[in-house]
Amino acid sequence: MSEIAGPLGEALAAVTSSPFAAIALTLWAFLAGAWLFVRMGRPVWCPPVLLSAVILAVGLVLLRYPIEQYRLQAHWLTVLLGPATVALGIPLYQQMHHIRALWKPVLLLLPLAATLAAFYALALAAVLGASPEALASLAPKSVTAPIAIGITEQLGGSVPLMMAGLLVTGVVATWCVDVFGRRLRVTDERIIGLVLGLNGHAIGTVRAFEISPLAGAFASLGMGLTGIFTAFMLPFAFRLWQV
Amino acid sequence: MVVLRGFLILILFFLLGEAVRVLLGLPVSGGVIGMLMITAWLMLRGTISTHIAQASQALISVLVLLIMPGLAGVFFLADQFSGQWLAFGVALVLGTFLSVLTSLLLMRHAADQDSGHE
Repeated sequence: MSEIAGPLGEALAAVTSSPFAAIALTLWAFLAGAWLFVRMGRPVWCPPVLLSAVILAVGLVLLRYPIEQYRLQAHWLTVLLGPATVALGIPLYQQMHHIRALWKPVLLLLPLAATLAAFYALALAAVLGASPEALASLAPKSVTAPIAIGITEQLGGSVPLMMAGLLVTGVVATWCVDVFGRRLRVTDERIIGLVLGLNGHAIGTVRAFEISPLAGAFASLGMGLTGIFTAFMLPFAFRLWQV
Repeated sequence: MVVLRGFLILILFFLLGEAVRVLLGLPVSGGVIGMLMITAWLMLRGTISTHIAQASQALISVLVLLIMPGLAGVFFLADQFSGQWLAFGVALVLGTFLSVLTSLLLMRHAADQDSGHE
């Protein structure tokens, strides 16, 4: 976008070389996605994060914003994922009484459910002949992004590919919980929330908060515990597997 | 100012988590260790100050904004994975399908048993 010469071109170059151009574009896409989601009547199959990501990608193409330059400048936003992960510990503490009330299924079955969430996909991908790099990118598919980025980097996967996996998993999990929950007549909002959080990470958790605050609380719990457990389990499991 | 004080505490726990990660050679990100440490710290204190609660709420509410730069990169993925898309897609969709079904049944069974004992 720097074909224009003269003072106007200089001004444009100054604007686009500032990280605020990337931040403004991201912020705008975030708000536009949220707005569009409400206008579409809050569809379960199309969460706002998907809309925002598509709008951002289209914006980058239309503005001829090089993706590498964008990624470099948007780093000012993504570094905040560190403290944001720490922040997930606060709802965990605030919901401690809920964990105590339903501690048996949560603490006994969550590690199993979290393991299966990774295992099913890994087994299917391995059978279908996916490369080791693709497997490493696929493994943290049910883990919330700030934790999943760390896991994928440790396993030697590709972060953009992992992000694609997160997006698909979040959307499919939200939809599956909706359909299966009705079919199996699961009415307990604590279970619905827990399953949404442990399979669909942040995208499922956002959906759970739409159902009720109780479901949302259990989704944060499921998301947090799955993230912690998977973060500890996967690198060790991969190390054992490669020996 | 209240939010900034909470933000400072979250950043300090993140840095602490990073330090512990490197010192112990753990395979987990510093953010996760910081999250566990702040949860343990709050449980020991037994109370949470409003500035931490507000700062964490503010950060969690913009979580989607923070992961968007990464998600946008999905649409610009190079052709290096062109042969993998079928395996990747089937594993994701079918795997998630099976995982949701299993965890729903597992959790319902456990909750039923739990309430049956009361």
